[in-house]
Amino acid sequence: LARGIQHTAVRQAHRKHEPNFHDKYGNLVLLGGAAVFVSVWGYVLTQLGMEWGLSPVGRITPREWRE
Amino acid sequence: MLASRAFSLVGRRSICTSLRLRAHGHAGVAKAEDFTLPAYVDRRDVPLPEVAFVRDLSAQQKALKEKEKASWTALSIDEKVELYRMKFNETYAEMNKGTNEWKTVLGAVFFFLGLTGVILIWQKHFMYGPIPHTFSEEWLSAQTKRMLDMRVNPVEGISAQWDFDKNEWKK
Repeated sequence: LARGIQHTAVRQAHRKHEPNFHDKYGNLVLLGGAAVFVSVWGYVLTQLGMEWGLSPVGRITPREWRE
Repeated sequence: MLASRAFSLVGRRSICTSLRLRAHGHAGVAKAEDFTLPAYVDRRDVPLPEVAFVRDLSAQQKALKEKEKASWTALSIDEKVELYRMKFNETYAEMNKGTNEWKTVLGAVFFFLGLTGVILIWQKHFMYGPIPHTFSEEWLSAQTKRMLDMRVNPVEGISAQWDFDKNEWKK
């Protein structure tokens, strides 16, 4: 990006920089990490059978308890 | 937070006296004595570093430096660029250029948070016992009705969320 450079000569002087780790694998790491996160926590929150202790408000329908 | 990865106010530095020299201007391995000498730095707040980037000039470059002593209008554009690159490593634009480092950082953060979830899976599988029967739907529904009948926490709590006239949760 030659943003902010006004003199043509300097734009021509731009060296091509070797792509670093982040250029090569950044997208892969980002998406891979997000995929791991979403899949693991999706499973934990819904399938694992944890008792999360959610509020009964709006969720539980009260049922007569007196015998 | 990730302070070590946050951009410092002066941007990334590329100090060219590191032992593993990647920069073009310097040949060989830096000796211990070199660390006592003024160094070249690419820093936003140091526009004119103490030394030029290229230390040992080739014959061609030396000739160019001689030509530089005469009138500058005689220099071609390419020669001017070459003189610039002899004196400086990166341009300000190159120095200030952002990177894709945030992708690696964020991706790694997500990954390790995912590993935390794996710990929970291990715990559920190997450690926790069965869920007590008091968490079953039938127990919770009876429990909730009993709490409402007793008017538990009527000001801001559970009984305040229940509409006793319509017999339903408040919207």
